[in-house]
Amino acid sequence: MSSFLLKTLTKKEEIDRIIRDTIDEVLVLRFGRCTDTVCLQHDDILAKSVTDVSKFAKVALVDVDSEDVQVYVKYFDITWFPSTVFFFNAHHMKLDSGTADHTKWVGAFHIKQDFIDVVEAIYRGAMKGKMIVQCPVPPERIPKYQLLYKDV
Amino acid sequence: MATLEDSFLADLDELSDNEAEMDENDGDVGNEEEDVDMDMADLETLNYDDLDTVSKLQKSQRYIDIMQKVEEALGKDSDGAEKGTVLEDDPEYKLIVDCNQLSVDIENEIAIVHSFIRDKYKLKFQELESLVHHPIDYARVVKKIGNETDITLVDLGDLLPSAIIMGISVTSLTTKGSPLPEDVLQKVLGACDRALDLDSARKKVLDFVESKMGSIAPNLSAIVGSAVAAKLVGTAGGVSALAKMPACNVQVLGHKRKNLAGFSSTSQSRVGYIEQTEILQSTPPGLRARASRLVAAKSTLAARVDATRGDMSGINGKALREEIRKKIEKWQEPPPARQPKPLPVPDSEPKKRRGGRRLRKMKERYAVTDMRKMANRMRFGTPEESSLGDGLGEGYGMLGQAGSNRLRVSSVPSKLKLNAKVAKKLKERQYTGGATTSGLTSSLAFTPVQGIELCNPQQALGLGSGTQSTYFSESGTFSKLKKI
Repeated sequence: MSSFLLKTLTKKEEIDRIIRDTIDEVLVLRFGRCTDTVCLQHDDILAKSVTDVSKFAKVALVDVDSEDVQVYVKYFDITWFPSTVFFFNAHHMKLDSGTADHTKWVGAFHIKQDFIDVVEAIYRGAMKGKMIVQCPVPPERIPKYQLLYKDV
Repeated sequence: MATLEDSFLADLDELSDNEAEMDENDGDVGNEEEDVDMDMADLETLNYDDLDTVSKLQKSQRYIDIMQKVEEALGKDSDGAEKGTVLEDDPEYKLIVDCNQLSVDIENEIAIVHSFIRDKYKLKFQELESLVHHPIDYARVVKKIGNETDITLVDLGDLLPSAIIMGISVTSLTTKGSPLPEDVLQKVLGACDRALDLDSARKKVLDFVESKMGSIAPNLSAIVGSAVAAKLVGTAGGVSALAKMPACNVQVLGHKRKNLAGFSSTSQSRVGYIEQTEILQSTPPGLRARASRLVAAKSTLAARVDATRGDMSGINGKALREEIRKKIEKWQEPPPARQPKPLPVPDSEPKKRRGGRRLRKMKERYAVTDMRKMANRMRFGTPEESSLGDGLGEGYGMLGQAGSNRLRVSSVPSKLKLNAKVAKKLKERQYTGGATTSGLTSSLAFTPVQGIELCNPQQALGLGSGTQSTYFSESGTFSKLKKI
């Protein structure tokens, strides 16, 4: 439902264009399916906070079922939906949330404020020139998962 | 205007005549009253027997003259007003001014007749006066009831609302009045007729004025309505006089002064005849003050147009009225809906550093104290003392050095505000002796320099003795209470 408000990208050129075109704003790309329940919850939170964050961030959804996008899925190593990847000025921003994978945020945010805090932390770090930032979300609200390497 | 002065003088003469006659009547009436009713004698201070002694207006020459003219003017067709003539010279205009004055006089007269009727009818039905307030309605009701003892036989349906009729019938059962004697009854009925005549005359006069107002001051009557326009012109003393007034004066024309000595007049709304206009009656009470100012301003403009006879069709007035209506509507529309504001960009706004007395006072609580300053400084050439001796531990700096007199913490009222718990402990130690101290505290301190010391140097630095136990605290309370 919230995909009315958020742009859904299906083609590689669209993704490229949007990454290139967001200047001085955090770009939040959600990789997932719009039918998954966790994705729905995540999208809901994203949609609610899009206006609040609109001055320094942009949000877009990437549908993982289209073929163009599989390149990116493999590049970012996305296996769990939803996964959120953050960009700033075409740089990929890393987020240290205490989990094993710093390159993306896996799972849904619990509350809107968490998401806004993460985006703000990324913005501040990026403006200072950092490539990786500390996640301000307390550990009880960070979704936990296990990284399996080749099913090990 | 000469005729007005004469009529005023004539009225004054009549008044003096009135007094003389009333004194005479007092004597007569006094005797009569004693015969008729013993109790009523003390109630009335001013007795008048004859209506004509009280209400003289209808017989006065002025009244008759003006009424005649009004009838004439109402009868004949009014020809178009001539443009270019000065307004004051128009004979119709003079009539209007006279009519205004007359209507005020008629009103006063009606009030007098009403009190006459009321006083006479009190013997019959005392409570009627408090149930029916309006003098004309009262007169009508009295006329209909007459000398009837059973009010239910009288049909008051077309005169009054049914709630009041019910009240009247109920109180009539318990009233302690008695039917009036015949002559008194005749007088009362005569007075009622008089009151109704005066009322109809007043209506006639007002109608006439209203109809003429449209030709005399079309723009002004377009805004405020002809009745109020007539009143304003009458009070101001002419259209040009009204035009010369500033708008703030026009606003309070006709304002009844009600402030008694000692009461502030800021709670009164200073609105005069303008309050009676249709525009103001239909605005919500919160906006009335603003609206009255607006209407006064625009009506002054309209009066100025009328005084110079610039626009006889009233178009200006209508335009101004439309403007007023639009403005009042605009005031009443709800404020625009709130848009959700996006958050500001992080670190875009520099932090505003505040100053001022409050901040300074707050900073004083955490400022470096004099004692700490002394401890931070050192004397040149002499090694400083330290808490563990030999340069180990905290250095004491200038504290305790010969030449300075600061070792103990003096009771200089420092700006430091202690924590509540610490303050309580300190206070208790000051006041209570050893009775409530915990068994495990001791005032002896074990220091490496002297061994056992009576005064604890650590206390001076606020570090406290190591043997002080807080577990068996003498001033502490239970920290957590939980219901089992």
